Amino acid sequence: MSLLEFARGPAIHAALIIMAAGIALRIIGVLALTRGADLSRPRDAFGNFKGYRTVFSRAWPSGEFTTTTRYQTVVAYIFHIATLLVVVGIVPHIEFITSLTGLAWPALPNFVGVALGTVALASLIALITRRLAKPAVYNSTVGDYVTWIIVALPLLTGLMAFAHVGLRYETMLALHILSSALLFAYMPFSKLMHAFWFIFSRAQSGLAYAHKGVRI
Amino acid sequence: MSTANTTAATATPIFPSFEQVYQGLAGQIGMLREMAPQPTKSDEKRLQGAVETLIEETNADEAVWLESCIHCGQCTNACHYFQATGEAKYAPMRKMDLYRRVYQREISPMRWWHRLITQPVKLSDFEQAKELIYDSCSECGRCTMVCPMGIDTASLVHHMRSAMVAAELVPPELAALRMEQKQMGTVFGSSPDSLRKMVETIREKAGIEVPLDKEQAEVMVLSSAVDLVANGNGLLATAKIMNHLGVDWTICSDGFESANFGLLSGDMSLWKKQVDPIIAAAQRVQAKILVIAECGHAYPALRWNPMLSSGGLPFEMMYMSEFLGKQAKAGNLHLTPFDGKVTFHDPCKTGRRGGAFDEPRAVLAAMDADLVEMPANKEYNWCCGGGAGIFLLEDATRLRDESFKIKIREVNESGAESVVVSCASCRLNFESGRQKNHWDKQVHSLVELVADHLIEDESTANAQARGAVA
Repeated sequence: MSLLEFARGPAIHAALIIMAAGIALRIIGVLALTRGADLSRPRDAFGNFKGYRTVFSRAWPSGEFTTTTRYQTVVAYIFHIATLLVVVGIVPHIEFITSLTGLAWPALPNFVGVALGTVALASLIALITRRLAKPAVYNSTVGDYVTWIIVALPLLTGLMAFAHVGLRYETMLALHILSSALLFAYMPFSKLMHAFWFIFSRAQSGLAYAHKGVRI
Repeated sequence: MSTANTTAATATPIFPSFEQVYQGLAGQIGMLREMAPQPTKSDEKRLQGAVETLIEETNADEAVWLESCIHCGQCTNACHYFQATGEAKYAPMRKMDLYRRVYQREISPMRWWHRLITQPVKLSDFEQAKELIYDSCSECGRCTMVCPMGIDTASLVHHMRSAMVAAELVPPELAALRMEQKQMGTVFGSSPDSLRKMVETIREKAGIEVPLDKEQAEVMVLSSAVDLVANGNGLLATAKIMNHLGVDWTICSDGFESANFGLLSGDMSLWKKQVDPIIAAAQRVQAKILVIAECGHAYPALRWNPMLSSGGLPFEMMYMSEFLGKQAKAGNLHLTPFDGKVTFHDPCKTGRRGGAFDEPRAVLAAMDADLVEMPANKEYNWCCGGGAGIFLLEDATRLRDESFKIKIREVNESGAESVVVSCASCRLNFESGRQKNHWDKQVHSLVELVADHLIEDESTANAQARGAVA
């Protein structure tokens, strides 16, 4: 079995199983915990439901915090959107998803894919640069840097494989798939789980404050 | 300048000015450190107690919040203690780190993994976290307003305070007051006797009747230690207003204290011990409304405490500013105009974490006050720096003084000549900051301001007489 065969076969499949099982374990394990009831009388009877809007409203920081959050918010949005489009939009990725699920959709032109991948990697570098430049603001941990590396590797190796830079194409492709497998397997152990938590976390706080008549 | 009415009380001051009140209290606070109890349990027991408390208090809400932080750094700049010092350790996200470590090793569904890769938590970790949990977090919740995940750091810090009680790591001032309230039921010695004496003084010197311990009353009013042992003007003002309104009201000597050092220290059994008699007294006198004195944390202790089933109680709980605001909105408060630009400082506990924004402003509107808002106001208001007991902590002096400079800047930018606050802690902290910085602004308490602006006429004299008879 070549490195590429290993990456395309057992490695990526094992990683996907770890990811799916890990995400399920972590989410169900947390949500199954008891919920403390708030017995105090709400400010107005149906006001609590207004709290759910925090799930959406928090997608962009309040104007009050514009100066301190602008860079982080804008760059993070660019990163997330570009990465998501690359993950589901280019031909080899769609072919892989089709092989797993049977689903297929039209792909983006190659040059768009490369451009988006480059934007994603550049924005990721812009984020780590600021993290390194302002240590007091970010309070980074080892986990933050490990996560950054694990997210950056598939982008870097993917772009290199596509551009035929570095090692032999088959090796670069194998490294790309292996680094993606690492990302999948790492997800349930890391802060990448925020992809799911944000909905619950925002809703909880929105409800807790709406209960008191405060819009957050 | 306010155009205070010349009543008997204001012509010859019965009680010291708030400037003197602050100086007197500062001396008393200085003595608290010597009275603080020492740890009694072994280190193992203290650590075990802290960890067990966190396990006990962690529900799905806390777990989700602890899981959600991505260290994006947005909360850091929202915190007044970070703004004031620029020191990384005061970032809000750091204040839940230890809680998260305990959560990950003991509760998380991934605990088997975290036990492999992390060290067990030690008592020294809690000792180090003490500064973050008490000195540098007033549980004001401003960081929640910016967090992309909406994490409620303040409530996580509150659970950490409960763990700190079990670890016997409460700061000396809060520990001393907690002990006093637990063993004697008083705060700074404010006993039912001191309440009776204060009521007597107000009757004799000001000719104002405080209906103490009536068998039945529509409105039950709380007082607070600050009012009883230092600032008599607080209770005097309350009495003047209630009598002016002709309200059927009372104060109960077996449930009058707003201050709750159970809540402030994190000792929720003491919290309950303080709250139960108040609720019992309000039910006994068949009150329809329980008015909480201008004591910020008493609002979450009573009105919003999730463990107090207020939905089932036959009375409504409201903060003094809410009561006054409702009276103003109903047109019952007739007040003389307030001259000059004024701004209102929302105490964290009644504002962002309480939702009483409109009512205090309605009171100022009833005075035709020229209300100007600070650049960051209401939900976004900056904490004065003294909340959640921090005003009392000597170790937090630098943090408090530096963060108050944000408040000075905000008030100055608003263009106001005076600030109205509605919380004894905020007011003490403002007074401290005003004196230390030779700040040229005036600081008013909402309730005292209203009392000074009451229009005394025939009908109010009658109402006062009714209050006196009752």
